[in-house]
Amino acid sequence: MRKLVSTLCSGVLSAVLSAGLLAVPAHASGDHMKEVLDRGTIRIGVLGALKPWAYRSEDGNMQGFDIDLASRIAESLGVDLELVEVTSVNRMEFLQQGRVDMLLAGMYDKAERRKIIGIVEPAYGASGPSLMAKKGLISSWDDIKGKPVCAKQGVIYNSIAETEFGATVVAFTGNAEAKEGLRSGKCVAWFYDDTIILPELASGEWDGYEMPVEALNSNPIGAAVAIEEQDGALGVFLSGMIYRWHSDGTFLELEEKWKVGPSSWYAKEHEKLHWDTSYLVSE
Amino acid sequence: MDAILTLIAPFFRDLYETTGINFNVFYDPYQFKRFLIGAENSILLILAAILLSVIVGVAGAAIQQSRSTWLRWLVGGYIQLFRNTPPMVQLLFFYFGLGAYAPQVDMGGYYQPMVSAFGWAVIALGIFGGAFNVEIFRSGIEAVPKATLEAAESLGFKPWQTFVYFTLPLAFRICLPALTTNLVSLAKTTSLAYVISVPEMANMLNQVWSSTFNIPEMMAVLFCFYVGVVWLLAAFLHWLERRLRLRGYSK
Amino acid sequence: MKSFARSGVLGLVCAFIAAPAYAADVSTGPCGFCVLWDWIPFILNGFALNVVISILAMMLALVLGIGLGLMQISESKLASVPARFVTQLLRNAPWIVILFMIMSLIPYRIEVQGWGNFILSDWIKATFAFSLPVMANVSEILRGAVASVPKGQWESAESLAFSRGQSLRWIILPQCVKQMIPHLMNWFALLVLATPLASIIGVREAVGSAQAAMESAGSSPTLLIPFYFFLMMIFFIFIYPVAIWSRRLERNYAINS
Repeated sequence: MRKLVSTLCSGVLSAVLSAGLLAVPAHASGDHMKEVLDRGTIRIGVLGALKPWAYRSEDGNMQGFDIDLASRIAESLGVDLELVEVTSVNRMEFLQQGRVDMLLAGMYDKAERRKIIGIVEPAYGASGPSLMAKKGLISSWDDIKGKPVCAKQGVIYNSIAETEFGATVVAFTGNAEAKEGLRSGKCVAWFYDDTIILPELASGEWDGYEMPVEALNSNPIGAAVAIEEQDGALGVFLSGMIYRWHSDGTFLELEEKWKVGPSSWYAKEHEKLHWDTSYLVSE
Repeated sequence: MDAILTLIAPFFRDLYETTGINFNVFYDPYQFKRFLIGAENSILLILAAILLSVIVGVAGAAIQQSRSTWLRWLVGGYIQLFRNTPPMVQLLFFYFGLGAYAPQVDMGGYYQPMVSAFGWAVIALGIFGGAFNVEIFRSGIEAVPKATLEAAESLGFKPWQTFVYFTLPLAFRICLPALTTNLVSLAKTTSLAYVISVPEMANMLNQVWSSTFNIPEMMAVLFCFYVGVVWLLAAFLHWLERRLRLRGYSK
Repeated sequence: MKSFARSGVLGLVCAFIAAPAYAADVSTGPCGFCVLWDWIPFILNGFALNVVISILAMMLALVLGIGLGLMQISESKLASVPARFVTQLLRNAPWIVILFMIMSLIPYRIEVQGWGNFILSDWIKATFAFSLPVMANVSEILRGAVASVPKGQWESAESLAFSRGQSLRWIILPQCVKQMIPHLMNWFALLVLATPLASIIGVREAVGSAQAAMESAGSSPTLLIPFYFFLMMIFFIFIYPVAIWSRRLERNYAINS
């Protein structure tokens, strides 16, 4: 109850503030790292309902693969972590406005996005559209022709299912509803990212379901800083962290922990970015 | 419909090419089809929900005339429950909650529910709108002069005959202004079917703008469509009101 | 009235007893009501945002709506015609359509010369969007109330050498207030019932929170009825007293006049 009242008060207060007083500080390029250290807090933007990447626990706290990465970043910098929930619609603006210092928000690395924000290399994941369906029902993409597939409203690749594969997209407002649609048989498959489907299957809640097809393509998922920070201390630091996680096996460990799925992508990247230290063994 | 498209397509394609204003639903055959599906479903949904809500309203008002206290309480509870909870949550409750228990047809692997999303939208919205209609009809019935009904009874009509032949038609005409207001508001509420994936106008246009990013143009189409349809409905109901007005019975 | 109140509560009690029994017998999965119990604080927290949004939107709608209403009854065509147009347009558009328009057409950040930048987060935009249809209806309620004041009142005010503005301010409007209040409360209730729409655009209010909670709890079908039913209940508990109160006021007004 007290929490309720305090949320209410803070809600009213923040409304008043944002309506009247809250101005956004502009950032001079390159000194963002110093600002984060001076502040003693790093604000990282993450999605709010994308299990197991970033989602809420019962007490309202965030958890997931991306959250673990975020806390490692704060730990390395020796600052506190402030998680800011973003959506796929507003995340780039949050970064541009300086409301977050960094984004770890499952964002495809696309050319038009690179013009606006500083997406750092290497990618910290890869994903593409795929299908989840009852076992044995679908064996290829052609099997969804003329049938309903459940999807989320506003997803950029939804029309591919209609134009290329002749399916009927049944579009829901959220993934939770799209999955319920699949579960209650309202569609033959759920059309969404393989990096979301595989963990769902691994969660043990989808007995008798499978991902019968390979993802249509594989889009690298990028972490990002503000565009003027891409080559600044913060961008280079983030780049280095991600490289480290690939090479030292952190990603493989987290993949296991969050049951992100037996995707070969992290293993491949680990192979590629792992520094062979065998020459140090002088015998 | 294709004839209409060929008629308007050149203008809108030209508009796009010269100004960049992209009303692709009016020149691209694929998007035009989406627009037509959206329009058809929206209009059918409005008509079906109105019809069901009026039936529910009449039935509820009839039950409220009954002598059984229990039945009257039940209807009273129904009215309060549906008037005072969000219609959007009602839709979700019906479609996802109760929809899971509805009978299904095996379509060779996947199961097509006997009640589609459209069907659930009609049921949920009809029941929601009906909750308001019951009260409207009840007040109409109460306003029917007692003397008229006594006269009917004295002519040997049975109670149910009096209700069907005298009370209802009179009550309907008395409460038509209030009914108009509620039905127009129900027509607007049907747009909530968006949340349970009914392919109505908002849903279809959302699919258009998600792939072609012409958001402001599609917003304009969406807004004009609903304002236009609601306006037409209101105009029709007001016309009906004037036609059926009881002489010497204006409040 | 009393029997209505009683029967409403009774119906709820019946539904409460019936719903879990119904949910338990069909699917396999965790007991929905047990899962719900753990998530109740989280959902109530979300509901606080529904309350905040509705109160702010109502205040905004009252201010704007009274302004628009006064424009509607103004003798100048320049003010009354556009005001009438805006009122009718917004009264005829569904909430969801207005919400979509405000969401997509108003930028996330607004720069005001000399004031700096304003961040308009999603819930603030939703608040603004919800206030628009209420504003239009407040405007119409005001117009209707003023029109219902007998002509004689205007005439006698005029004979006392009151200007139009003065008669409106001192004689006409005070008579309207009492008549308007039940209508305004009714619109507040409708506004609260519309706020779940904000979940569509990602605002984490009660319905959005419940959906996130179901997602986190494994989205088992057994959760659906308990969670959605609980949502209906919290709105009911908040709105029902408002409904009863506004009816009482309406009846009192009808008796007194």
